[in-house]
Amino acid sequence: MADLEFIETLGLMIFTGAIFALLAHKFRIPTIVGYLVAGIVLGAFSQSSESVEVISDIGIVLLLFLVGLELNVNMIRDLGKEVLKLASGQIVGTIVLGAGICLLLGFDGKSTLTVAAALIFSSTVVAVKSLTEKRETDAKHGRVAIGILLIQDFLAIVLLTVLAGLDQNTEFSLQKTLVNLLLVVLAVTVIFALSYYASRHLVQRLLTRAAAYPEMLFIWSLCWCFALVELAGFLKLSHEIGAFVAGFSISQMPFAHELSRRVSPVMHFSIAVFFISLGVGLDLALPLQAWIAVAVLSVVILFGKFAIVTFAAVGLRLDKRTSCFSGLLLNQISEFSLIFVALAQKKGLIDETTFSIVGLVGLVTISISSWGIQHKEKLYLNARRNRWLKRFASLQTASPPPETPALDQHVIVVGMNTLGATIAQKLLDRGETVLAVDTNPYRLVPLNCHKLMGNAENQTILEEARLRHAKLLVSALHIEDTNELLAWRCQRLGIPCAIHAVVVEEAADLLELDVSYLMIPKVDGIKLQTRKLGELGFLEP
Amino acid sequence: MTGVTVLLAVAAIGFGFSRRFQISVIPLLLFGGFAVSLLFEPEHNVELQRTMELGIVFLVFAAGIELNPRRFRRQRKAVIWVALIQFFAATGIGFLWSFSLGFEGKTALYIAFALSSSSTLVIVRILSHGRQISRPFGRLVVGVLLVQDILIILIIVVMSKAKFGLGEVVLSLLETAVLGVLAFGFQKWIVPRFTVRWILGSELLLLVILAQLFFFSFLADFFELPLVAGAFAAGYSLSRFPFNGIARPLLLSLTDFFLALFFTALGAFVGIPDDPTILIKGILLGLILLIVTPPVVTVIAEFFGLSSRNAVEAGILLAQGSEFALVLGLTGYLTLEDFGRDELSLIACMVTFTMILSPLLANDRTVRWLLRFHPKQSRSYPRVGHCDHVLVIGFGTGGMWVVKSLVSAGHKVLVIDDDPAIIDRLSQSQIPCLRGDGSDLEVLNQAGADKAKLIVSAMQRPSESETILKLGVKAPVLVRVFEEKDAKRIEKLGGIPILNSKASVQTFMDWFVKSGHATDRPEPPE
Repeated sequence: MADLEFIETLGLMIFTGAIFALLAHKFRIPTIVGYLVAGIVLGAFSQSSESVEVISDIGIVLLLFLVGLELNVNMIRDLGKEVLKLASGQIVGTIVLGAGICLLLGFDGKSTLTVAAALIFSSTVVAVKSLTEKRETDAKHGRVAIGILLIQDFLAIVLLTVLAGLDQNTEFSLQKTLVNLLLVVLAVTVIFALSYYASRHLVQRLLTRAAAYPEMLFIWSLCWCFALVELAGFLKLSHEIGAFVAGFSISQMPFAHELSRRVSPVMHFSIAVFFISLGVGLDLALPLQAWIAVAVLSVVILFGKFAIVTFAAVGLRLDKRTSCFSGLLLNQISEFSLIFVALAQKKGLIDETTFSIVGLVGLVTISISSWGIQHKEKLYLNARRNRWLKRFASLQTASPPPETPALDQHVIVVGMNTLGATIAQKLLDRGETVLAVDTNPYRLVPLNCHKLMGNAENQTILEEARLRHAKLLVSALHIEDTNELLAWRCQRLGIPCAIHAVVVEEAADLLELDVSYLMIPKVDGIKLQTRKLGELGFLEP
Repeated sequence: MTGVTVLLAVAAIGFGFSRRFQISVIPLLLFGGFAVSLLFEPEHNVELQRTMELGIVFLVFAAGIELNPRRFRRQRKAVIWVALIQFFAATGIGFLWSFSLGFEGKTALYIAFALSSSSTLVIVRILSHGRQISRPFGRLVVGVLLVQDILIILIIVVMSKAKFGLGEVVLSLLETAVLGVLAFGFQKWIVPRFTVRWILGSELLLLVILAQLFFFSFLADFFELPLVAGAFAAGYSLSRFPFNGIARPLLLSLTDFFLALFFTALGAFVGIPDDPTILIKGILLGLILLIVTPPVVTVIAEFFGLSSRNAVEAGILLAQGSEFALVLGLTGYLTLEDFGRDELSLIACMVTFTMILSPLLANDRTVRWLLRFHPKQSRSYPRVGHCDHVLVIGFGTGGMWVVKSLVSAGHKVLVIDDDPAIIDRLSQSQIPCLRGDGSDLEVLNQAGADKAKLIVSAMQRPSESETILKLGVKAPVLVRVFEEKDAKRIEKLGGIPILNSKASVQTFMDWFVKSGHATDRPEPPE
């Protein structure tokens, strides 16, 4: 067996990462910043992160798998040309602006192109996380931002692939680059075709069978993901594209959302290790010129990217609020930028200083942008009052569309066994709004109500079920621990709940948790039995 | 990355076979790992070894989180006695057997201790699947597993320090106690304060939980204790309700992922033994476990009030090797010079063999067959000559109410139950009763089932009522069930199902309307 260096390094990273992530949470900064700072602190004590490289690699693979898995083709189709034009404008605008500034700052040709390309991307993690927290993923600015981020993700895949296809210390020659691109296009076509064929004829069928058993679905899906990662490696593509294609090929299946919830904890754990490792690699002992580059590039990203997105959106006659919010959601660089420059450094395209500059730009822009996103309403109102921005305010745009109403005053029924399914049906018959929750998708099929596949023990499931806004939670589960946990969560939120007590002895514990109604089928069954005995003439009716 | 992909592919096949043949997945992962050993040189594969290290940490941590003594507080005495006697009986017999086969003292002790614990992962899954985990019998079994886990962690600590002498062993036990006290302090004061005050998202909460795991691992490392002691203490510090419930879903995927990789990697690491006698010795060791555990557990569990049937079931379930036996084997491999790959293979063979066999044996048919050898069951009852009576099988919840109603309505009632405490209570109340298994044909004949005018069955599992239905009695047979599909099956067999869940739905709907939760709409037509 290897020595304990691996566990010690990993443990130290996670422990330090947790402390800085908690501090970041306290100051309302995204956890990524906390991870990077934790890495910088660890790096100061020259902590080597080589032994945890596998975990970092798994993190990137799973992040891309999740991006593919959550890619909603219908959403892109709905947003259509508007988002495509906006994304194109943002990409071209940022690359021109970035390249110009880099040249002015004295970067060489390779570094200018690499840094300008890295600046294109905005952080999916920062934007999506803040939208989810504020429940704005369905708002227009949310959909616009996610649409642009998805197009950026596609571009990131292409650029990462091109980069991965380059040899160490490759000189830029047009002919070689074109051949490389052609080979990449060929390999991408092969991997897409193979994954499409395999997923249609085998994988989807297998995963559909496994859907009723969450553990098996999880392992089989990961196996599919890593198989395509290997295939991508074999075709000389990056691991990331394999993972993305694997996720995308099963993204339209009904269990994709639950699968992404299952994969998330493993991704969170390993991506934390990845970002901390990146922080370890960041060199703060930079010359003054590099610090100037960090400051200039950060200002350019924060204001330039915001301006490009906002004015392009206004130009496309989106309403001002949507345009401004979309700009604020996208004015930072992304985890992809860091992955991209890390790979570029590995390939010898940029030096360690340039890598550190981009890393620090990420740190600064993500931190400030997150603050901006938190206070976007206030910033928007101030912008409207500002004399300098009056011109922006006077532009003619469409009025914001009404938002779709979310679930409210609904009844959540957990566990679609006979008890749960019958209760859900009876409530539906009474005209109640019902949300049925179960881990088995097949049990949800017969019901004609709102459905959510997932484990009710999971806090995110209850958030998605909008427990806070529900008028009642009913648990028909046979699992004592989960029932008690649900009762506890309802108690904390002050939501009434009706819980199934599997055995009578459990009733006292549940009543201590202020359960509004206890369902004890064994006791309730006595009434039915007595009635039947009466019908059969054994007891007085 | 290729190593991880291969392990995952093998694990995926293992999961498929496990579902198809209803076998526990762990032995299949180990089997898969044996096959992988043909591809890799496990000694030199760093990726494989790191996966195993992380797997052990998560395995022990997950086991620690389940250590909630509240679960078995009503059966504490029974749990401790069953666990201790079973633990020492298995260890004693295992040691004698290993020693007689020529294993040196410490190696024989390692093998013996490997025999003493049962698989928490497998048994909890079987109990949950059969919806028995909340029943008294399920709680007893889970309690026994948890006590065994604590004992085996202490054994790992002791054995890893044994070569340094008694002083070191005592010191390490004291240090483990300090770790335990600290974990208790965390559980009681720090974790609740954090959870109540800080509202954290899933990602951050996961990270804080993992930080706690690594904090205790550092402490264990600081005291020079095995890493598993720290991981277990970390798990224990989170085992209190509701924090265990909050942590469990967050760790579920991580545990599933690393355990699948761990068991496959372990199989690859152990490899196929070169010496075929190792395989035979491993199987023999497994047979000893299968033969010794059920009678020992049955006798003690019955003594503490469990029914014969449940005691036998508990015995069969506990007659299997544990994942902790594998961890112990690995510790032996790392700390003892004469504990080689063969000894580790022997333990892995024993665990694989028993983990496959025990769940297959834990069924109604085996339990019934074993009950024949039970001294109380084999006692022949005189045929009492019951006729025109109401036969109530299974007293359970509400049994007294049904029996009293029938008696006051002037019916002759005979109750069958396999719980001695219930039989005593009924005898004191002058209600005719018979101790035995209601699904046993002999017992049913003795109770005059064929001459009864009504049969009311309230046995725990609907399948247990099938014997009486297949007897072809003329009297109506009322069977209590929960699921619609069971009701249909009972109806098909000629019985009258009493669908408890349907009754609960009605009472729930009445409450829903009366309590003011219902939206003000007219009642739908029936």
